[in-house]
Amino acid sequence: MASIASTGASARQRAALRLLGRRLVQAVPLLLGVVVINFCLIQLAPGSFLELMTAENQVSDPATVELLRKTYGLDDPIWMQLLKYIWALLHFDFGFSYRQNMPVIEAIGVHLPATLLLMVSSITLAMTVGVAAGVVASMKVRTFWDSLVSVAAMFFYAAPSFWLGIMLIVLFSVKLGWLPVGGMATIGGDGGMLDILHHLILPTLALGLFYAAIYTRVMRSSMLEVSQADFVRTARAKGLSRNKVTIAHVLRNALLPVVTILGVQMGTVLAGSVVIESVFSWPGIGSLLFDSVSSRNYPVVLGIMVLGSLVVIVANIAVDLIYMWLDPRIEIR
Amino acid sequence: MARLEFLNRFARNRGALIGAGLILLVAVAALLAPVLYPTDPLRIVGAPELWPGEDPDFPLGTDSLGRDILAMIVHGARATLLIGLFASAVATLIGVTVGAIAGYFGGWVDEIAMRASELFQTIPNLIFVLTIVVILGSTLTNIVIAIGIVTWTPIARMTRAEFLALRDREFVQACRAMGMDDFRIIVGEILPNALPPVIVLSSLVVAGAILFESAVSFLGLGDPNLASWGRLVGDGRLLIRSSWYICAIPGVAIMVTVLCLNLIGDGLNDALNPKLRDR
Repeated sequence: MASIASTGASARQRAALRLLGRRLVQAVPLLLGVVVINFCLIQLAPGSFLELMTAENQVSDPATVELLRKTYGLDDPIWMQLLKYIWALLHFDFGFSYRQNMPVIEAIGVHLPATLLLMVSSITLAMTVGVAAGVVASMKVRTFWDSLVSVAAMFFYAAPSFWLGIMLIVLFSVKLGWLPVGGMATIGGDGGMLDILHHLILPTLALGLFYAAIYTRVMRSSMLEVSQADFVRTARAKGLSRNKVTIAHVLRNALLPVVTILGVQMGTVLAGSVVIESVFSWPGIGSLLFDSVSSRNYPVVLGIMVLGSLVVIVANIAVDLIYMWLDPRIEIR
Repeated sequence: MARLEFLNRFARNRGALIGAGLILLVAVAALLAPVLYPTDPLRIVGAPELWPGEDPDFPLGTDSLGRDILAMIVHGARATLLIGLFASAVATLIGVTVGAIAGYFGGWVDEIAMRASELFQTIPNLIFVLTIVVILGSTLTNIVIAIGIVTWTPIARMTRAEFLALRDREFVQACRAMGMDDFRIIVGEILPNALPPVIVLSSLVVAGAILFESAVSFLGLGDPNLASWGRLVGDGRLLIRSSWYICAIPGVAIMVTVLCLNLIGDGLNDALNPKLRDR
């Protein structure tokens, strides 16, 4: 018995590794596509960023401008620039940002952790609330609680996140004075964990409640569907209690569609956090993005796109592994 | 007969009916905006920061400059609905085309189409929209196209699934046996059968497009000539300490509109798939 269990576990590990390898191979053309699309998009922009950069730094000496043109390779044909960019990316070189006067990767690296923190906390909130509310609604189907959950989900699904954020600020910061209006740490404070968590609450609610609403709806219908499945009836027939069946059999299987949606929406969560960052002056990549698009600082814009897509791809692989861990049937493939 | 039954089922869904009624109201307000408020809604008409109900001339109050909020909401409905509808149309056009070709031809065409849709799901959508709008300019057309480009993937996947299910059915085989060319089979024979679930999805895409547009405008990157609801929220943002209603009202307008569109979508879905109604 023990040996069967252990070979089962190692077979699953091998399957997980195979899945990981396949996803990594698939990620390469995907990332390449992201680079090509965004590179071409930026070529459509009127005027080069060199003009803006020289104007901003009041460079008028033709020799310097010529040197800059050479440094940024702007005289090469476009396909050559693209190939050079991809070649540099392979060495994790995202170019240089003149505005921050540091490599693009460093400029993004400074801001990315704040965005990731907001993403992770929002997804955690959305998952917890969504799954719990969905389970409650499905177990009390067609009662007051079910209706309450459905109505709340409908409202949060329709409310624009930035507006919800502002309304939360009005209520909890302006009127009640419980939570800070924005930022990530108290100015002049010790910048400790608790302080950051205190600042994280409102942005997390503003971003997470929309996804909580989606997960609630999906979880509820998925629970109802799974509870009609044959294996659930068998479990009930064996004499297991309703709660035990719900937790041990229905919940695990009902989670699968929720996990799928989580993977599909990863890019949306990242983009959504950019808007929320602007509402709460959260120091993530949002502020860097706005600064860069308005100043035509394209190396940074491209870098944010590529790294953002990379985050989405990595998160998706993680979601795939979670899915596999939840769904015992996948092992056979 | 089938149509009547469909309408009946839709009408039995109370939420969908309320949604349809309210959307009709918003649409009428948007259409009648030039009649209701013939002057420029961005004109200063009264004292600044009048709260809703404070002055009967301005039922929803005035903003920081003394502009009538109700007039701006009514005119904003035009901009918001227009962008939502057009963007959804662009997304449907791209999605149906890609999905139909992928599902009908299969093979490597399908493979490329599905990888492309995966690509567009990977790129963080709103960041992509913002970049497109900044690079090509904040005009109505560019915003509509940008939103269409990031929202077509679910429509393509659904169209593809419908085409996969329909392409080997007898009536299609009969058309092929008659020597009908692929284009006519796709557009004339399969598409009409594949369309109903796609239309349901498009109504949800309108809701999503409105949310996208409101975020773009809120961030100050919307068309400067259009006072959409998202922009009104953004404009009111600095005054939340004294007059938070300036921010709250247009947000409620967005929320109610999106909510109603979702209710309509749910209602259409239930009416099309009566078996799923209990879920």
